[in-house]
Amino acid sequence: MSQIIQVPNICEFMNRHLMDVFETMLSMKAVPAAYAAMPHTEERVTGSVAFAGDHINGAVYLHLTTPFANQVAAAMLGLSPEDLGEAEVNDVVGEVTNMLTGGLKSWLCDSGAECAVSTPAIIRGSAFVIEPTPGVEREWLVFNCDRNRIAVEIHVKVC
Amino acid sequence: MAIKILSVDDSRTIRLIVGKAFRPYDVTLLEAANGEEGLAVAAREKPELIFLDVTMPVMDGVTMLTKLKEDPALKAIPVIMLTAESGRENVLQIARLGVRDYLVKPFKEEQIVEKAGRCVTLEKRPVATPA
Repeated sequence: MSQIIQVPNICEFMNRHLMDVFETMLSMKAVPAAYAAMPHTEERVTGSVAFAGDHINGAVYLHLTTPFANQVAAAMLGLSPEDLGEAEVNDVVGEVTNMLTGGLKSWLCDSGAECAVSTPAIIRGSAFVIEPTPGVEREWLVFNCDRNRIAVEIHVKVC
Repeated sequence: MAIKILSVDDSRTIRLIVGKAFRPYDVTLLEAANGEEGLAVAAREKPELIFLDVTMPVMDGVTMLTKLKEDPALKAIPVIMLTAESGRENVLQIARLGVRDYLVKPFKEEQIVEKAGRCVTLEKRPVATPA
């Protein structure tokens, strides 16, 4: 397997890819920020997509505050936030997470680590943390988008 | 007469984005949430163009495309694959199946219209005139 498949390189790819996804699909400029975890008390919508292969497995979690998730869904669908229900917002957050992980999958496959991805799942709530299992590394990527915060949590185990 | 475009994607978000992209054009958008539904809609409606996702539950895009190409009544319909995976192997596999084109997510709405315009003639939606 390629030496490229290291956690810092995965983070570097995801940094670029998230900015591309937000710019292309939402016309929103996401700027990498210094690390600051999403406050666990804040109401949020979290999309998750897992990836798994012989050489690597893990998951990508996209955390957005609920008001920002509504704003993202409205921007993507060309509707006003008042016209959106929870189902539409969940679908959009799931789709954005799917695009992030799909890009990562392509990068991993081209680097020699074939893997498959799951369908997206959504977690809603305020008082939750996602704990990695033993042997799994966790990385946080944080971005500012206007006055909003985007947090990407990557769990990865290179076998 | 409006041309029929079929969007087959398990994500309602993507189907809505495809619909939004063609709103200015004289297009009737048909929708299906997986390959099985997509084949049924294609057989019933005979769309002029299909946008097809790759990864879907029930029946994925590759299987639907294979079945479409086996059906003499449907095999000539141009198909544009939509995929979140741009890896070399994935793109090669799609190309081998005989798709007209493919679009990697993330994409801009203009790209959808541009790709469709290479397969079908898109005309602006007629402006409604007051009675």
